[in-house]
Amino acid sequence: MIQIQTFDYKPGEHEAEKASNSYLMSLIALIAGLPLPIINLLATLIFFLGNRKGTYFVRWHCTQALLSQFSLFFMNTAGFWWTIAILFKDSTVNNIYIAYIFTLVIFNLTEFIATIYSAIQVRKGVHLHWWFYGGLTSAICKKTL
Amino acid sequence: MKKVFLQSFLLLALFLFCWFSLAQINWTSIFEVEKSGQELEEKLGEQLWEIYSREGREVFNDDIIQSLDTIIHTICHANKIDQESIKLHVLEKDEINAFAMPNGHLVIYTGLIKASENPEELAGVISHEIAHIELNHVMKKLAKEMGISMLISITTGNGGAIAEVAKLLSSSAFDRDQEKAADLQASDYLVNAKIDPKHFADFLYRLSLDDPEIMRYITWISTHPNSNDRAQNIIEYQEGNLVISEPILDNATWKEIKTLVQ
Repeated sequence: MIQIQTFDYKPGEHEAEKASNSYLMSLIALIAGLPLPIINLLATLIFFLGNRKGTYFVRWHCTQALLSQFSLFFMNTAGFWWTIAILFKDSTVNNIYIAYIFTLVIFNLTEFIATIYSAIQVRKGVHLHWWFYGGLTSAICKKTL
Repeated sequence: MKKVFLQSFLLLALFLFCWFSLAQINWTSIFEVEKSGQELEEKLGEQLWEIYSREGREVFNDDIIQSLDTIIHTICHANKIDQESIKLHVLEKDEINAFAMPNGHLVIYTGLIKASENPEELAGVISHEIAHIELNHVMKKLAKEMGISMLISITTGNGGAIAEVAKLLSSSAFDRDQEKAADLQASDYLVNAKIDPKHFADFLYRLSLDDPEIMRYITWISTHPNSNDRAQNIIEYQEGNLVISEPILDNATWKEIKTLVQ
């Protein structure tokens, strides 16, 4: 799921720290934003915008962190509004809802672990390429600004 | 790029597979969702009734209770509602009020019987409250205003908050959509029970008039606002429907219970 790849150049200490912070940012936002999924996305987006003029290594990892938040954002938002509908409207708790919440837990937990691992490795200057998100990031993120 | 598209479909497929596989498990019975919800409702219903029963003297007069039981039986029987699920309590109070509580407790103040001009009007208000019970509006309202965790804490010993819940149920309104749904449902109940919903609409319309004598005791209207519009909605909803109307109580019985509540 996560591959170690050789980056185009060896990132400096400062770059590795910044790139690692993009994962930490999404990690903290993930914890803070659990009740309101939009918070994760906003926090990562703000960090991404702040670093959009950074070096290629920093931009690449900020983009990967942001993209990985997108799919979770949609999944969590659906779960959030479904729960609201159960609490305040006429929807009821059924097997499909509980299964959805468990699926969310599995996906969020996987993302959580992958993010911690990435933050640690990227801090050491290791270039981690996530399954799907890595390919998408490479397609979006240009080497030169 | 082709590889990325393929991976995105795979990711989506993995999500859906995970979701639908987990949905095959009967989680609601594992977590006893219905049982725990039912237990919570039962406990809340009992605790709330304990509070209300202290507020006024409960009426046990056979004529009054039997007449109201007849009305409830007619509505329930015609609409295939389990009459056992409705627990009627009549309290001696001048306020014009009736309200539903968790677990099917239905509280009627004698003031409401006094204010009704005929048994069909009273049946209209009772149908409206039964509709709130059947549509599960009571628990939804409590969950919305108090939060599920607060309701659970009440049943496990947080005594202070129960008074707040009691106040909420007897003196605050359901939301507009729920009121409308309960009105229309009540209107259907009445038609099925061969009672013309026009009487219920008349009652609502009369409450919307600023009669100072009525306004002194009117609580039901403050918890059920826009009575004039609601009366209009009921009339429009049943417009064109041929309603076969039969008396729900005979005149002598109605006169007797009116005398008893005076």
